[in-house]
Amino acid sequence: MTARSHPLGAKLGPALRVLPLVVVLGVSAVVAASARSPVILEPELSWAPPSADRPLGSGEGGVDLLALVAHASLRAIVLAVCVALAGFVVGCPLGAAAALRRGRLERAVVRACDLVQAFPTFLLALVVLSAVRSPSRVHLGIVFALTAWAPFARLALAQTRVLRDQAFVEAARAIGVGPARVVVRHLVPNLLGVVAVQLGGSAAAVVVSEAALSFVGFGARDGVSLGAVLDQGVSAMLRAPHVLVVGACAVFVTSVSLMVAGRVFDRGFARAPRRN
Amino acid sequence: MRVARVVVARLLEAALVVLLLATAVFLALRILPGDPAALVLGDQASEAERAALRGKLHLDEPLWLQYVRFVRGLVTLDLGESVRRPGTAALDRVLDAVGPTASLATLAVFLGAAVGVSAAVLGAGPWLGERRRWVDRIATAIAATPLLAFAPILTFALAARLRVVPLPGDPDAGVAGLLFASGLLAVPLAAHVARVSRAALDDVARAQFLAVARAKGGSHARALWLHALPASVGPIVTVVGTQLGALLGGAVVLERLFERRGLGTLILEAYASRDLPVLEAAVVFSGALFVAAQQLAAAVHAAVDPRVRR
Repeated sequence: MTARSHPLGAKLGPALRVLPLVVVLGVSAVVAASARSPVILEPELSWAPPSADRPLGSGEGGVDLLALVAHASLRAIVLAVCVALAGFVVGCPLGAAAALRRGRLERAVVRACDLVQAFPTFLLALVVLSAVRSPSRVHLGIVFALTAWAPFARLALAQTRVLRDQAFVEAARAIGVGPARVVVRHLVPNLLGVVAVQLGGSAAAVVVSEAALSFVGFGARDGVSLGAVLDQGVSAMLRAPHVLVVGACAVFVTSVSLMVAGRVFDRGFARAPRRN
Repeated sequence: MRVARVVVARLLEAALVVLLLATAVFLALRILPGDPAALVLGDQASEAERAALRGKLHLDEPLWLQYVRFVRGLVTLDLGESVRRPGTAALDRVLDAVGPTASLATLAVFLGAAVGVSAAVLGAGPWLGERRRWVDRIATAIAATPLLAFAPILTFALAARLRVVPLPGDPDAGVAGLLFASGLLAVPLAAHVARVSRAALDDVARAQFLAVARAKGGSHARALWLHALPASVGPIVTVVGTQLGALLGGAVVLERLFERRGLGTLILEAYASRDLPVLEAAVVFSGALFVAAQQLAAAVHAAVDPRVRR
């Protein structure tokens, strides 16, 4: 993970990398807190281009696109952060424990990660969502969490392979510390720096997947999603191109801001390994 | 003998994955709350109608018997009839939809690999001078841009404004439509392939056999294409394999965007109309195709790189 292989945000100071996410969150929160509604329709304003009153214009049935995008981004970011944290909390100890036990468990976890990471999440989502009458964000979160742990487990496993032979782990085991405690107290704190970088990438992937699912018609039933904006934009591509542009830019900005924010954990953290 | 054992192990593993996916589909449609018959028929249906449908789909039998029936159906390739189009086997509808999706994805894989590898060779060679680094930067930027964001914009610009490609939903799109759709699908893949092959080419850049190839009087291009690339084909095949899942998701999005016929559209249609047998068949079949493609990638890797054959 050198700066060269990730020019995106490499020039920013570590703290500055959160800036895009903070801006997106701030603007969305301000708009969401205002009187604008993402669900009230004003049919006479259908597909109206941007104006002073509605800076991003109107969509299908005269919905205020600014309000729709703000609410949708907020909900997508909350969902993405929850899923990424869940994957982190499950995957990190799992990978560490597997590498510490070695042998069969280690190989099984590696294989499982291979399978899950290469598995088409889309199919899995379709399977789970086809069983519920009207998908909600909780269902979407569960679907994404089913596969979110794998990259974290893989990173934790690789890093633990480096750490497991170091003196502090051996010392902890020699004085009779149990394996669970070794993982939680001694290994996980040393893994954080390496594994946390994955948080941003995972969260960005969730934002895109959520938008893609609602674009093809599997989204949450409230219809407040970036994918719904894109769906409107595609259906009115010739009449109201601004809707398409707004939707595509919103997906891009939201996912990239999360990805850049995740690189806060790069370096700094990783450079000073804690030895406890 | 060893080859046979490896092949059998791979086949077993692939079958296990497909069975796991099929079991997940089976359970999801039966265990999760909600009566499937009510989902299919809607709230207005009478209890008698629901009971009739439950009987037809064998939902009134104990779960283990349903499962045995389901697995037997998988093995004998008989997954029941479409609920929405009585008289049509679910599998026939799936087979009908495989062709367009397979051609879309296959074309995208080849386009993506060709463009990505060419970009990597361009970035590794001396032709661009200092501007070489832009190859890496552009690849990283494209890899970070979701297909969902740029595909609709490009479609709008090229189809609706410039009119150089057919509009979405155009029934006469034909080859041009297929080329454009698979080109879009190939873009993220090309970016990933370019990044990985750049790294792989860097790894072998100092190898002695490259210096020998240059010393014999071969050009940079010859050394890169004929000597360096074959040595770094492993990571390239692997990255294509790991991108297959994303490719499948992208294919569903693009089929929806262009209103193309295909597996994705079939799955969406079966979901919207709660056509459970078709949904089961389509998901299991896509999973099987996907696993087959992945095993193929692994086999190609083993065939070209003796180091992975263990």
